[in-house]
Amino acid sequence: MGRTIFRVGWPRTDKDRAAAMISSLVLHIHPAKVQRHSLRASYTLGLGLTSAYLFGVLIVTGVVLMLYYTPHPLDAYRNMKDLQFVVTFGPVLRNMHRWAAHAMVVVVFLHMCRVFFTGAYKEPRQFNWVLGVGLLLLTLGLSFTGYLLPWDQLAFWAITVGSNIAGYAPGLGAEIKYLLLGGNVIESGALLRFYVLHCVILPLLAAMLIAMHVYRVRKDGLSAPPAAEPPPIEEMAPGRFPPSTRSYGLMALADRPAQPVVESEPDDEVLTWPHLLYREVLVLLAVLIALHAAALLFNAPLEEIADPTRTPNPAKAPWYFLGLQELVSYSALIGGVLVPTLLVLALVLVPYLDPVPRGVGVWFAPERSRANRIFAALASAAVALTLVGMFFRGPNWAWVWPWTP
Amino acid sequence: MNDPTRRRFLFSTGVTSVVLSACGFLGATARYLSPNVLYEPPHRFPIGSPEEFPPGTATFLPEHRLFLFNNPAGFYAISSVCTHLGCNVRHIVGEGFACPCHGSRFDENGQVVHGPAPEPLAWFGLSLSPRRELVVNTRQPVQPEYRFRV
Repeated sequence: MGRTIFRVGWPRTDKDRAAAMISSLVLHIHPAKVQRHSLRASYTLGLGLTSAYLFGVLIVTGVVLMLYYTPHPLDAYRNMKDLQFVVTFGPVLRNMHRWAAHAMVVVVFLHMCRVFFTGAYKEPRQFNWVLGVGLLLLTLGLSFTGYLLPWDQLAFWAITVGSNIAGYAPGLGAEIKYLLLGGNVIESGALLRFYVLHCVILPLLAAMLIAMHVYRVRKDGLSAPPAAEPPPIEEMAPGRFPPSTRSYGLMALADRPAQPVVESEPDDEVLTWPHLLYREVLVLLAVLIALHAAALLFNAPLEEIADPTRTPNPAKAPWYFLGLQELVSYSALIGGVLVPTLLVLALVLVPYLDPVPRGVGVWFAPERSRANRIFAALASAAVALTLVGMFFRGPNWAWVWPWTP
Repeated sequence: MNDPTRRRFLFSTGVTSVVLSACGFLGATARYLSPNVLYEPPHRFPIGSPEEFPPGTATFLPEHRLFLFNNPAGFYAISSVCTHLGCNVRHIVGEGFACPCHGSRFDENGQVVHGPAPEPLAWFGLSLSPRRELVVNTRQPVQPEYRFRV
């Protein structure tokens, strides 16, 4: 009977291990064989995989949290209190959801930095970088919409500030804010909209983009190989498929009778089972252990119930938007709209502004030092502004030193 | 039968109508997202009889997010919603208003002194209801010279 479910069974030979990969719906996201360089943890740091795992954890914990949550101002905060004090394991699940969400923002950002510093967005991966930028924005959007749901002071004022920033968008700002809130004030309509965005619309979009992102990773090879490795395609003999990076190479070659598979098989490929699969399970375990530890040690914050009449001083946006809030404190239009829009536009255009396929597949390639320096400067500026907003801003958004009481 | 011009015409007509109806559907859905009825607090509301606000006082009405002033020239109401990003400003007697979120400062008339706020605080028109209650209308903007005499 087991064979009706798992056609290959527990694989004991290399042939079965390859067959197990190809015959399983879940596992055939992998090729049967992978290049050794894409297993190097020091190259990818496992960041893309980690963010996918975090997304999975967020879906699971999010769905069970929904069972105890009503998106209405009269109930939402009480539900949070129930989750915190009444529901069995409620605090652990809520904490895990919260910390996984924060971790995902960090890991997705680091993943983007890794891809940039290794030049991995170059041909043929240009559009996958663009999909990645979309996923970064969706991650922020998911985090931001989730921020309102507890309906506490932290939530209410962070969303007040955030939605008013949207109102500064030139031309359609007022309409965007009206659509986002489903009205003019943050009330039951806004809470319901944020809830639907957070639980349905944005996760669906993210899942679709993740599927496309992973599919392209799979088609283009698991990670960009060091540049010197693959021979240029035009130098290949006609009728021969480029042998190296592409995961479908094995099967595509088998279709071509002129070339036996073994001849164009690169030497440095290893079987996905166990070499890649076991590493992936290891990363999953590490992610779960870290999240459990965080969830058991640190409680997700829950302040007093949302009070539209009393603004806490200072009222801070979620930490990943504190850089934005710092910019906004100079000018709402320039800091809140123009700079972020230009930044996102620049990110989307990165692979097309920098098309020369040099220095791909190695960290900080000397050929790319100028691009790397520009990116590092912008990324550090974003981190620095966020840190200023987090630790150096006190009441009335005045400058404070974090060590003065 | 095999007239390519006719075939192309029919094909492009079909494609165009599909695209147009898709646009219509998307447009209708976009319009659907914008609510027509809002169950929000009313923009005209009574705040109490004039005697509740003695001369020379500044009263913060948190549930309406406004300050009501009564000075010798009459009553006037100033919004407590910062024009920068919507936080509630605080009133500091003799100095004006301060926003806790991004440090915008306003003078006693709600005019921007410094900070990121792009506009002065809103002033609202006042009236007296038949039951002799002061009524604020947040959709009736007035100038800072405005004073309401009972």
